[in-house]
Amino acid sequence: MLPPASGTGKFYAKAAKSIRLIRQGCTNRPFFHISVTHRKRLNSQPVIEQLGSYDPMPNVHNEKLVALNLERIKYWLGKGAHVSPPVAELFGLAGFFPIHPRSYMNAWRNRKTTQENIAKQMEEEKAKETANL
Amino acid sequence: MISQNVFLKRSWPMLVQCAEAHRKPRWLPVAKSKIYRIPKRPVVSEEERLELLRINNNYKTQMRAIRRFYYEEMIKEKSTKESASSEMSIRLEAEDWARCVELNEKWNAEVAAEREERRKIQLAEMEEYALAHMEVKDRELKERIEKATKEIKRQKELSETFITPENLDEAIEYAIANPTDYNYAIDLRGKKYVGTETPGSLPKDEKRTNSSV
Repeated sequence: MLPPASGTGKFYAKAAKSIRLIRQGCTNRPFFHISVTHRKRLNSQPVIEQLGSYDPMPNVHNEKLVALNLERIKYWLGKGAHVSPPVAELFGLAGFFPIHPRSYMNAWRNRKTTQENIAKQMEEEKAKETANL
Repeated sequence: MISQNVFLKRSWPMLVQCAEAHRKPRWLPVAKSKIYRIPKRPVVSEEERLELLRINNNYKTQMRAIRRFYYEEMIKEKSTKESASSEMSIRLEAEDWARCVELNEKWNAEVAAEREERRKIQLAEMEEYALAHMEVKDRELKERIEKATKEIKRQKELSETFITPENLDEAIEYAIANPTDYNYAIDLRGKKYVGTETPGSLPKDEKRTNSSV
């Protein structure tokens, strides 16, 4: 039996909490709840509270949808909840946190690879032209 | 004191559905084909490393500030909640409540007016429908009565020829005097021969009658 989606887990006031992604989709269809749980608890166990959702598959408008309950996130941050890196990245892109270093790193790496690919293509075209001449 | 129930009752079953059940169990050795495989280490250039270090440090500093901000906000909120029972806040709350009640009543009045209008329209519609229905029913009833009177008239006209106890003897006598034969036969061509006596058998009968005579 799968655990309920939100708000049924027991929790202790002084235990460390973490805000993390919890996979709820089925095979080949990822979907995540952004939930707050105990830091040492498994993802398959009931969570303390659901704070949002994240759909990583682009929809018809080429959007990846994220929903956040900012008020409750603020509340849990005030309580000292940790934030897992993927969620921190999402918060950074949402403008709630500063942009995560990993986002910057992925961006510049992607830029570099695309530039390299473009350069390679140009070279190939040039080589073809010279061969034709 | 910790009650015994804490140890006896488990709030969550120990056997939990493992998220990564498709992986190799921890106690199995490395596969034979993978013994001498050395995974390639990611290469991070010095430049990139320094840049990452810088932005990570920045990020950590900013995050620390944000965390402290929310923590302080939480503390502030707590303190305001504790001091919320002062007279000022009570008065403010009462004012707010009165304002809310007024607004609610206004909305209720608006909705009531709308409802009244809607109900009037609905009542008119229902009346119209009922009248139309009654008219149709009346017409149907009239038609039925007409039909019935026609039938009664026809039956009365027919009743002159009915056989009653008074004219029963007459009818019997008339029937005996005028016997009707409904028998008939058909040949292969479908020709109809009325009566019990067919043309083919007629000569025989004649012979018989002749002989008897």
